[in-house]
Amino acid sequence: MTTEPARPGPAARPFLGVDFRSPAVRALAALILVLALGLVFNAQGAFFKWETHRDMLRHISVFGILACGMTLVIITAGIDLSVGSVLGLTAVIFAMFSLRLGWPAWLAIPACLAAGAGCGLISGGLVAKFRLQPFIATLAVMVFARGLAKFVSGGQKVSTAILQADGTYRYADVPGIFEFLNSKVLGQNIAVVTLLFLLSVLICWVILARLRWGRYIYAVGGNEEAARLSGVPVAATKLLAYGLSGFFCAVAGLCQAAQELQGDPEAGVAYELTAIAIVVIGGTNLMGGTGGIGLTLIGAMTIGYLEKILSINAVGEASRLMLTGGIIVGAVLFQKFRK
Amino acid sequence: MKKRWPFILAAAAVAAAVACSGGDRGKAAPGGTAESPEARWTIGMSQCNLGEPWRVQMNQDIRNEAVLHPELKIVFKDAQNDSLKQRSQIEEFTSAGVDVIIVSPKEAAPLTEPVAAAFAKGIPVIVLDRRVLGDGYTCFIGADNKKIGRAAGRWIAAKLAGKGRVVELMGLMTSTPGQDRHTGFRDGIKGSAIDIIFEADMKWLEPEARKEMESALARFDTIDLVYAHNDPGAHGAYLAAKAAGREKSILFVGIDALPYEGQAYVKQGIMEASFEYPTGGKEAVLTALEILAGKTVAKDITLPSRVFTRENIDSGGEWVPDEERP
Repeated sequence: MTTEPARPGPAARPFLGVDFRSPAVRALAALILVLALGLVFNAQGAFFKWETHRDMLRHISVFGILACGMTLVIITAGIDLSVGSVLGLTAVIFAMFSLRLGWPAWLAIPACLAAGAGCGLISGGLVAKFRLQPFIATLAVMVFARGLAKFVSGGQKVSTAILQADGTYRYADVPGIFEFLNSKVLGQNIAVVTLLFLLSVLICWVILARLRWGRYIYAVGGNEEAARLSGVPVAATKLLAYGLSGFFCAVAGLCQAAQELQGDPEAGVAYELTAIAIVVIGGTNLMGGTGGIGLTLIGAMTIGYLEKILSINAVGEASRLMLTGGIIVGAVLFQKFRK
Repeated sequence: MKKRWPFILAAAAVAAAVACSGGDRGKAAPGGTAESPEARWTIGMSQCNLGEPWRVQMNQDIRNEAVLHPELKIVFKDAQNDSLKQRSQIEEFTSAGVDVIIVSPKEAAPLTEPVAAAFAKGIPVIVLDRRVLGDGYTCFIGADNKKIGRAAGRWIAAKLAGKGRVVELMGLMTSTPGQDRHTGFRDGIKGSAIDIIFEADMKWLEPEARKEMESALARFDTIDLVYAHNDPGAHGAYLAAKAAGREKSILFVGIDALPYEGQAYVKQGIMEASFEYPTGGKEAVLTALEILAGKTVAKDITLPSRVFTRENIDSGGEWVPDEERP
């Protein structure tokens, strides 16, 4: 680890596990550091139970799915602050469609995915066509989507309890799709939402590592002007990145609604910060042009294990916040330490 | 092209504002006015925020009571969690000369002065849920979180016959309701052999409660009961236990008992009990009517709370006994 040259942008983008001096290995080192904490503070053996790990993966999946889209946007040197709000919006409309209107899953799911992608495309359009700063454009969409979620839900959680005209409540059955998304498969060993997270990672990996559009995403983030001059469709690439981010928000929104058995217009507040933290702790650079989805997977597990270890040890909230801050700094410094 | 976007954004903002104002659809919506042609009295209601379902319910309770009294017209304002905005709303009501002001303040200190100014001008002010400083108001109506926590503690101790392993999922512990529901509860179980085996701050949030409960389940093979500081917390804990196949051996108790949340969970058999944290909306309207009729009202009204259990949910719950009064 002594003589690694500075990475010259898109040309040297990492493939998982190939280069032993790669960011992936350093991200893994941070994960191992956190895991070591778990071995020491194992809460009377709770850390050695598979359920603890399965539940950690379930809990982090929604954040991880958001981080997948966030990774694409950050590699283009952008940022997407709207992910939490769009998650809330799609959770609400998914609950409306399924619980209130009784739409079947094959209709409700595509409608929600389209709504999420639509929100992403609005952000992308503002960034690519109108040249707004990504921070401002997605901040505006964040505020707007939260308002829209409150508007369509009337400010109330959309749950299985449905108000009748005479003031009493009727209880809708939980639709099969909610139960499926909230269930565990493979002998109760892994949550469906975790599989969706892994599928999202796979989709992003195919895009970034196998498709021409993936090279465009790195090129736009590395040097936008150079990319434009070499014929990269910059605006279309940004639209794609933000649109996919919105799409993944909708996937996360479906998971959130199914896991809460309701659509909460307040769902996802401040989730964008966790999503960004996952991407950055993985080692993807906020300046754009470098990084990868495998790093985000590792970052998600690092954050997930950190939260889980603090949780099983029932660490108080104040100490938890301080420890989280400290360990994040430690993990990132650990990654940088290579001279 | 470059120059046009501010106009498009402005147009979008206007369209959004119009769309949102369309949200005040009569009875179901949280904002707007409840009006009738023969209204004689105008009541101004300033709500500190409508982000919390409980506060949406408070406005709904006010509206539901007001429609029974056609002589009342209620003007609702939402301060969106901004003390200064709420201050100017009180000032607007004062200069408009409404007949009664109902205010559910965000914070005591910044709202004491405008409330006292309105009161000094002769406008009766009913302060709901959170207090202001001094005594420059007509009447305070609110519930007592400590008392509700204590009632929950006693009920739980009785339910578990004096001993058991309990998980406490706390609301935001930097907030007064969270602290009061905690200390009241600990007070209520005092003297019993109840063992709090796990406690965590779930910040009033259901996903956080689910995560913390998963940790509790991983650590402890027997848990008798979960006491959560709000119903979404109890529901999140239930979902975690259900995912682990252990929901049948654990009882879930929460606070707030909103009709579509806690009461619904009890009715569905998810929760064992939910303690009502009353909004006081109905009582505020009734008190306003008494004031308008020229009667004197008590300066301080503590709202009683009901407990909803599987046994009594269909008959509308039971009043929590008032243990403070001898």
